[in-house]
Order: sequence, then C-alpha cells, then structure tokens
Amino acid sequence: MNDNEFEPNIIAFCCHYCAYAAADLAGSLRLEYPTAVKVVELPCTGKLDVLYVLRAFENGADGVLVAG
Amino acid sequence: MIIAEQKPLAEVKALVADAQKVLVVGCGTCVTVCFAGGAREAAIMAASLRMATQLDGNGKEVAEVVVQRQCEWEYLDEIAQQVGEVDVVLSLGCGIGVQAMVEHFSNAWVVPGLNTSFLGLPTEQGVWAERCAACGDCILGLTGGICPIARCSKSLLNGPCGGSENGHCEINAEVPCAWQLIYDRLSSLGKLDRLLEIQPPKNWRTARDGGPRKIVRPDLRLPAEEE
Repeated sequence: MNDNEFEPNIIAFCCHYCAYAAADLAGSLRLEYPTAVKVVELPCTGKLDVLYVLRAFENGADGVLVAG
Repeated sequence: MIIAEQKPLAEVKALVADAQKVLVVGCGTCVTVCFAGGAREAAIMAASLRMATQLDGNGKEVAEVVVQRQCEWEYLDEIAQQVGEVDVVLSLGCGIGVQAMVEHFSNAWVVPGLNTSFLGLPTEQGVWAERCAACGDCILGLTGGICPIARCSKSLLNGPCGGSENGHCEINAEVPCAWQLIYDRLSSLGKLDRLLEIQPPKNWRTARDGGPRKIVRPDLRLPAEEE
C-alpha cells in the first residue's frame, strides 16, 4: 500500500450469532481483511448503543460498521 | 412526572461557549425515565460536546455525572468537589434541578441543557402527554379523573366549547377533546349527573396566577426551623 494512502480505522460491531461467526469463519478459511478493521463482538447488534458509536469515534475511529 | 426535552446541541454549545471545563450533570429521576437527562443522555451529551468542540478547534474537557435527584440538596453534596473544579455546569435536570444546584453551589455557573416541558405520562413507547397543570386546586373528583385544566385547550370547567368536533379539539385534530373524554367516561360509569352542577369560575390564586407558590408543613418542620 502507498504510504500516502489513507487507511481508515474501522470499528466493526458484530453480532455474536451472525456477523461475528462469519468473521470467525473467514479466519478459519484464512481469508484476510485489513488490519485497520477492528471487530468488537456484541451479544446482538440490538445491544449497540449510540454511546458505543460515539466512543469509537472519540477514540479515533474513522468509521463504524454495524453488522448483524 | 416532569417531562423534558434536550435543547439542540447548537444552543447547548453556545451556553457553554466561554468555558473550558464542563460538567454535565444528569438526574436519575423524572428526566431519566423520559430519556432526556439520565446517565445515558448525560454520557451522550458529554461525548457530543467533546467531539463538537474539538471539531470547532476548541476542544473542551467535558465530564459527566448523575445524581439520584437534582432537585434535593442532599443529593448534590456528593458532586460538590466536581462542581468546584469546572467553569460551567450543564444541568440535564429539569428547571428545578438547575435552580437547586444554583441555590446549593453559590459560586457555580449552572446552565440548562433541557427544556422542561410539562407534567405528564408516557402514553405509548416514545410518546408523552400532558396530564396535570399543577393548578393547586384539583377538580379531578368532579370530572371522572380527567383534567379539563391540563387537557382542554381552553381549560373550560362546564363542558366543551364549540370547537369540539368528533371528539377532537379544534386546535389540532390529534388532540382529544377533554370534555368529550370526561363525558364518555362519566357516561360509561353511569355518573353523568355529576356534570349537572355548574362550576363557578375557578379560583386561580392557587395556580401560578397567585405568584410563586410555597407549602409549609409545621408538622414536618424541625424545632430549630420554626419561626
């Protein structure tokens, strides 16, 4: 990757039952995704609170992905 | 309970513009259950202010705390130190909470983050409606438990006005006519005769019209406080 290229920090809030399981499966399959994507497991995306999103941004995230 | 709404962020930012250190104080009672100023809302407000002021190029230090009841001085003692360390206190309590803090912390600059709206109840998820006008002379016993002071747009005492249409108020077709509600309820209870008595003009001296109100209960006062 070009040093000057902007690589956004993404926090991915993933549901335990689907998106997080998919990320697990991706790992088992040795599929790669950018290291700038940080996965946070939630018991359900219904647990997501606006505060989690705000805190992610406050702590330097460029984007938040909610997957569930 | 007291129903309140948060002020727009732009207005809140203007209220705290001169300060560098801000303490957002939530309240754990009425405004928690109407989702305007509880722990969650205080945390969101603090985060929003931190980010918004940082984006404006003047990031402020914003902390948040919640007290069980902002409207009682005893509960405010626990935040005295934090209040003393900031330039401005942003209260997410009702107007009573703001004033309780002002009276308790004489040197603190306290500003409101909420607009205190009315006394009411949640009628369905996410909907609150006014039920009491705190007139100081309750007539619910005459009207089947439905308040024409708070719920009739004109606060009429002897039946509906000509603007009652199909059970709704002329000011807004979504507002039920309080007198229609009263009539229907008394009718279903077989107590329509209660409406035959003509109510004289209401004495509004017990309401706000009589000036600021105060209740003194000698039976509850401590001996040293008696005059």
